[in-house]
Amino acid sequence: MIDSAQVATTQPPPLEAARARPGRGFWRQSWDELSANGAGLTAAGVLVFLILVAVTAPLTSHFVTHYVPTAQDLNDPFSKPSRIHWLGTDELGRDTFTRLVYGAQVTLGIGFLTVAIALTVGTAVALVAGYYGRLLDDVLMRVVDVVLAIPPVFLYILMSILFRPTAITLSVIIASVGWASLARLVRSEVLSLRTRDYMLATRSLGAGDLRLILRHLVPNALPLMIVAASLALAQVVLIEAALDFLGLGIQPPTASWGNMLSNAQVYFVHSTWLVVLPGTCIFITVLAANLFGNAIRDAFDPRLRGAA
Amino acid sequence: MEERSGVPDGDFERFERFLDDWSRRDFLKRVGGAAAFASLSGGALAFLEACGGGGGGGSSSATTPKKGGHVTEGWAFDIKTFNSVLTQDVYSSLCIGMCLDPLLNSKANGDLVPYIAQEVPKVASDGNTYTFKLRKDVKWSDGQPLTSDDVLFTYNLIFAPEYAAVASPRRGDFTQHVANISAPDPYTFVVKTQTPYAPFLVTHGQYGIMPKHVLGSLAPAAINTADFNSAPMVTNGAFKFVRWDKGAQVVFTRNPNYYRGAPLLDQFVYKVVPNTTAVANQLKTGEIDAGQLDPSQVDSMRTEQSIGITGFAVPGFQFYMQNLDPSKPTGQIFQDLAVRQALYTAINRDGIVKTVLFGQGQVANSVEPPTSWAWNPNAKPVYKYDPSKANQMLDQAGWQKGSDGIRAKSGLKLQFTMLYSANSPVLSGIAQVMQENWKAIGVGLTNKEIQFSSLVTQITDTRDFDIILVGFNWTQDPDESQLFGSKGTARGGFNGFDFKNDQVDKLLSDATTTTDPAKRKQLYFQYQDLMNEQLPAPILYFNKFNYGVNKRVQNYGYGTFNQYGPRPWMKDVWVTDGK
Amino acid sequence: MAGYLARRLLWAIPVVFGVTLITFLLMHFTAGNYVPGLELNPNLKPSDVERIRENLGLDRPLIVQYLDWVGVGSIIQAVGLAGLLGGSHNIQPGLLEGNFGRSLIDGTPVLRDIIERLPNTIELTLTAIFLGAAISIPVGVVSALRRGSRLDQTVTAASVGGFAVPQFWLGLLLILLFSVQFHAWGLPWLPSGGATSPLGGGDVVDRLEHLVMPALVLAFFYLSTWSRFVRSSMIETLSQDYVRTARAKGMTDRRTVYVHALRNAVAPLVTLVGLELPGLVSGALVVEVVFGWPGIGLLAFQRAIQTDYTMVMGITTFAAILVVAGNLLADVLYAVVDPRVRYA
Repeated sequence: MIDSAQVATTQPPPLEAARARPGRGFWRQSWDELSANGAGLTAAGVLVFLILVAVTAPLTSHFVTHYVPTAQDLNDPFSKPSRIHWLGTDELGRDTFTRLVYGAQVTLGIGFLTVAIALTVGTAVALVAGYYGRLLDDVLMRVVDVVLAIPPVFLYILMSILFRPTAITLSVIIASVGWASLARLVRSEVLSLRTRDYMLATRSLGAGDLRLILRHLVPNALPLMIVAASLALAQVVLIEAALDFLGLGIQPPTASWGNMLSNAQVYFVHSTWLVVLPGTCIFITVLAANLFGNAIRDAFDPRLRGAA
Repeated sequence: MEERSGVPDGDFERFERFLDDWSRRDFLKRVGGAAAFASLSGGALAFLEACGGGGGGGSSSATTPKKGGHVTEGWAFDIKTFNSVLTQDVYSSLCIGMCLDPLLNSKANGDLVPYIAQEVPKVASDGNTYTFKLRKDVKWSDGQPLTSDDVLFTYNLIFAPEYAAVASPRRGDFTQHVANISAPDPYTFVVKTQTPYAPFLVTHGQYGIMPKHVLGSLAPAAINTADFNSAPMVTNGAFKFVRWDKGAQVVFTRNPNYYRGAPLLDQFVYKVVPNTTAVANQLKTGEIDAGQLDPSQVDSMRTEQSIGITGFAVPGFQFYMQNLDPSKPTGQIFQDLAVRQALYTAINRDGIVKTVLFGQGQVANSVEPPTSWAWNPNAKPVYKYDPSKANQMLDQAGWQKGSDGIRAKSGLKLQFTMLYSANSPVLSGIAQVMQENWKAIGVGLTNKEIQFSSLVTQITDTRDFDIILVGFNWTQDPDESQLFGSKGTARGGFNGFDFKNDQVDKLLSDATTTTDPAKRKQLYFQYQDLMNEQLPAPILYFNKFNYGVNKRVQNYGYGTFNQYGPRPWMKDVWVTDGK
Repeated sequence: MAGYLARRLLWAIPVVFGVTLITFLLMHFTAGNYVPGLELNPNLKPSDVERIRENLGLDRPLIVQYLDWVGVGSIIQAVGLAGLLGGSHNIQPGLLEGNFGRSLIDGTPVLRDIIERLPNTIELTLTAIFLGAAISIPVGVVSALRRGSRLDQTVTAASVGGFAVPQFWLGLLLILLFSVQFHAWGLPWLPSGGATSPLGGGDVVDRLEHLVMPALVLAFFYLSTWSRFVRSSMIETLSQDYVRTARAKGMTDRRTVYVHALRNAVAPLVTLVGLELPGLVSGALVVEVVFGWPGIGLLAFQRAIQTDYTMVMGITTFAAILVVAGNLLADVLYAVVDPRVRYA
């Protein structure tokens, strides 16, 4: 799922460019870097805004637009933005604004749920494999290889042909193949972290495996996980849209940005608004998630400190 | 032979998996309403709508036809087979019709015309025997003459017990009605039905005849997977098969020795396009010359200068079947006539036709499509969209709304799941409208899209559905036994909703055993009234198709009864630019 | 080196088996006892159906059916131990013999259809990769050279944006613009679908005309990542010691850039390209559907719609095996190129 090229950093710039800041911890420095990154902050802001929109969808529908997303008006399809329908109506006369807002709920919900599942499973596997190493690592990584070998798109097609999924089912389906690349990613980080001095030190103090994993490995792998998570979010939103286009995703009347977009392109000659609006929402979300991921990566990479 | 009726001619291809567009208004505008049949019988062929400069692909202009060039027709589906007895979809039938001729064919208005047969046979005085006299000048593309051996062979595939392994859906109906078939001399073919069967010629006289010297040597089971089915190198039709690039196109070339006269075109291409929007796009760019238009594309296509639009009603309708089988969960609910009628009353069919179909359809008032000579424009009872009346009907029948808004009675809830074919924006739209309409009267509907082949299996075999939304295509004969007769409830039949009504059975059977059209029409009128009252599978609307044809193509005569299958006008098609 | 190779090969085998096991289970739970033509053939009695199922061995234990599917079954039979598999049914050749199953729709062998369509997909994805690299290298280099300029910012914005556009949307927009609109405006226009024109086409120009748009859409995605990568790789290379040394020695900037820095900056791109190789077979599915490009992806999609499970699973298995083989090949190549890898 994740193209590790996006996450892998390039060679660090020469040392002289890194300004040492005595006395400030790693996390504090990272936060400083992040705050200095304008694009990253904007992206984070956009994401937070979208999440708010998604969460408050029922409130918006009740108090602001006064439409439910399924309410049809067969006498007024494809209408342009007007006072009664701020963003116009779709092919069955439903209010586009309301549907976009509920679509945020579905699309972002699927995105976050999928990433949550995939990250949890992937990280768990990666921690076990990376920490214990040797045979367990080999076996687990072969399982990962098997999952990664099967082109996910074929699996999506097969699983969705059997039934059109609900939002939750779809999240599980996408996560069931997505965890593998996350596992690989986190594992390489774990492998490198495992050999750090503080790990050996803590171990020699008598700390048990679980404590080491949870209290030391995980927090230090966290930046990478956040980066991977945001990039994964972007990909899931795109995957969901593609599956809707293929007719295998969320079934109407439930609105998701993806299925609004793919329905709309059939009726392109009747309304360009319908095509532009959900497409723009998808675009903004994916862009924001990508930029945020990049910003986190840049902020937490000590080799890029002060290099901007 | 096990009693298994109900899978006769046309069968699966009858199911409209695809959205159909149509509009009656335009017809009535031109012909002044009233006798729909009369307008269709003469009019459908030359029926064009003026657009951007007038004229269109179907008119014969004053200039003389030129030989040469090609026509590309675009469809959003690939074909499956060239075997005329195995085919189950209209697209395969279309391509089969290009290269394999039948005994009889249909004109646009439904009249039968003789093809390989010299004339349309009249049934003998016993009411059962049909004698086909074959033309003597029909040759296969490899030079061999076509004789009654080939005809007998083709029909034996769906009749003879030794060919039972041939997976033809037509065998059931054919063996049910036919007593025996024979070929007394090389140019005569005789069929004897068991009892007088009026629809016989229409239902079973139109199979493409296949070559015995190619398929005859194969074991019966091997015929299902024969090479001929994907590459019919020996044919007898207007065009010869050149190649089939699966998923991309089928290419045909002119048959210079065609017995009805060599076609003017050099080549014909059946092109597979990604989807219906692509059909419209490729019509605009000229990558295809002809294609069926999605309802949503019709209006915008009118502004295209180079495309002429042909629209006509087709013998098909869209309906939903309610599972009446008492052993199924919904069986008991649907036994209640008030429920069936209330549900129907609550559906905004005008809205569906207007918005989901963009006006390309006609609200249905009967189980017979208006293209049928037996259609009753005044069938009763008449149902108008009336949600408050529907609410009343359900209240009176004792279905009370629960706390969740869903009506219930004696532990049964008015909650259903409706199945329909995926990948169809029209069906999806209809399903969503029905969902909203029924929500307003306290009925919960969950929509479930499934692939078309699974849908067909549900209807003919599994049958554990609540409601199925699907379309059906008929021939020009008004007989509807395969859908509404009780024999169709057997496994493999289309009466998957278990509708058994003795009165209906009697009317249907009487109407097929008499050949007097006036008497048949009377019976069908009674039948339509009865079905309107019973509503086991209420009809939503009648279909209309629209085709866009590039103006360089002349004589493209799409019509009501001959869009799929052999096209009598195909050999006269020519292109103005000769390319 | 040989040891490394042997280890990689050894571990690849269980991966392939794992893949076949998953596809087999998926197929069993979808198509199950399905035999083409069986359900839809109304002429068969239920007892006939049972008999046919028995003949095809569909009533045997799952593990035996799996071994058959893989092809171990026919090997066992050849060796004369057929009794182990229980029953005198007709053992079909399996994966090991090149039998990926038969289509449920028309009975044609899956492998035959795959071989027929595979070259089209490869043609598309390879062209896209080539286009992607060919465009992103100069773009990335120029951005790096003019770092911070308007051009650089535009390129960065465009590449980050290019990432965020759904592929099918982009494809449809391109069709609307370059096919329909250009045709309407009387400009030379591109065909909107397929790989060749149905009649008379097939020559290089015709194929290229059809290839341009789908390859561009696919390449778009690569472009975004790769141009940024080339850019940062170039920036960092340019600030390396040896570059400064070359400059100090008096080499002109141009030569410095093109001869030394470029080569070293672009080399890591090979890694990225290599990462795309496994996706060569399956990655173009959406593009193939939008443009009607007759490749493997479109085949799988069309057949899935027709519930031709065996075809879809056959294609999936084939693609997965290709991915494993591709990864193996890539690993070997890296080991050859970069000695450090062998001793990891």
